[in-house]
Amino acid sequence: MGRRSFIRRIIIALAALGVSWFRPTKALAGFNFWRGSEYVGKTREGKYKHFYIQYYKSFKRIEGESWRLKVSGACENPQNFSLEVLKKLPRQTQVSRIKCVECWSAKAEWEGFRLAALDAIVRPLPDAVGVLFRCADTYIEYLPLDDLHHTRSLLVHSMNAAPLSDEHGFPLRMIIPYKYGYKSPKAILEMEYLSQAERGTWNRIGPYSVDGTILPGYDHPLDREKKRRKISGGEIFD
Amino acid sequence: MQSHAILFKYKNNHLSLSPVCQRTVVKAGLCLITLALFLCYFPYLSPALADMLPVPISEEMIEIPEGPFLMGEKAESGDHNIVVLERYTIDRFEVSNAEFKIVFPAYVYPAGKERHPVSFIRWREAQGYCEALGKRLPSAAEWEKAARGTDGRVYPWGEKRNRNKPHPPFSGMVKRVVGFNKKDVSPFGVRDMAASVWEWTADEAKGKKIARGGVWNQHLDYEYSRTTDQIEVDADRRYIFLGFRCVR
Repeated sequence: MGRRSFIRRIIIALAALGVSWFRPTKALAGFNFWRGSEYVGKTREGKYKHFYIQYYKSFKRIEGESWRLKVSGACENPQNFSLEVLKKLPRQTQVSRIKCVECWSAKAEWEGFRLAALDAIVRPLPDAVGVLFRCADTYIEYLPLDDLHHTRSLLVHSMNAAPLSDEHGFPLRMIIPYKYGYKSPKAILEMEYLSQAERGTWNRIGPYSVDGTILPGYDHPLDREKKRRKISGGEIFD
Repeated sequence: MQSHAILFKYKNNHLSLSPVCQRTVVKAGLCLITLALFLCYFPYLSPALADMLPVPISEEMIEIPEGPFLMGEKAESGDHNIVVLERYTIDRFEVSNAEFKIVFPAYVYPAGKERHPVSFIRWREAQGYCEALGKRLPSAAEWEKAARGTDGRVYPWGEKRNRNKPHPPFSGMVKRVVGFNKKDVSPFGVRDMAASVWEWTADEAKGKKIARGGVWNQHLDYEYSRTTDQIEVDADRRYIFLGFRCVR
């Protein structure tokens, strides 16, 4: 192989790598809804010391107007939803605490809709058993329908009477308060109904259980100066 | 001479093992390696092997004699509450998936987990299982006496915390066959009272049912519970970490 040929091949390989780097997130929903050059990611600084921000990877902020939620998979009527449409679904409000597997917890008032409202439109097939969430930070999480239909599970677009901030999962996030925070995916791009259970990102690469139920143990609530307290497992109601 | 011919042979002025003998040595070596591997991995294989066997409802119950025992935490003054109980018997092991299915045939559990402790069941289902067998759920006092004996010890095995962690470093419940932990044994011989799943009792506190004796989670680290620890759970809830055992 000549020197020029070798260099040409290297350039092609690097270009292919570059393309593969950019492709997944943009192709995921079929819309270009990224805005600006600023990235949102993990932080515990400033006001976030009272509610830590966890993201799997940093990502460009999302523009709400062009964002669409892609609902796909084992359902009769797969389609894309704008944020405006999702906000018209019957609204539910609940105060609940997110308990992170890294010990801290924080409480907020969440507003959104139940999965049943979305089910009524997309009509999951009888063999659907769960939903795979694909998120802006490339995080993937799977949740069984039994959990998604739980009376405390909520698809959230507002927090503390204001639209979700990018840090807390704009434009749409899941809240399942009786499971550790890693089972509440944020900045959701796609929901795929599945007829077979799947594993999420942390279940694949780390020692995090597929189930993710909060176990009896200890909590360090950020709104109570991280003072350690015993918890009985499941949702922390206070 | 004949026997030497079987064992050894001369070739080019060298004495070497005969082909028959060489094959025997190789076979014996392979057997030894297999045996060594089996012995090394037996602790890991035995639960898997045990899972394959059919599981009848265990009749193994342990008698707890009547009399007093020291209950609860010792006060700073040194006082310790004394509680007197009648004689009763308690299941040696937590109720397993397969046992629960015998009473409730509609109950479904993952294949190969026959001997794992049953969990994700509501209080009334646990109570229903006990009643179907002419048993009942233990009171918190009965549970505690079975776990710590009469001398007020902190853990079923004594006063010191066990240095070995009771659970793999994993964020959620990892269940193993009942009785897997050979050190988690009470003075009466009752198993899994400090780790494994939490267990429903018949008693209430703060309007909820009391559960005793399971693994505590802290980040990705785990601890045995003390024989006095308890959690309070709404009777209508069910969790992957919550099972039970019966008394009679």
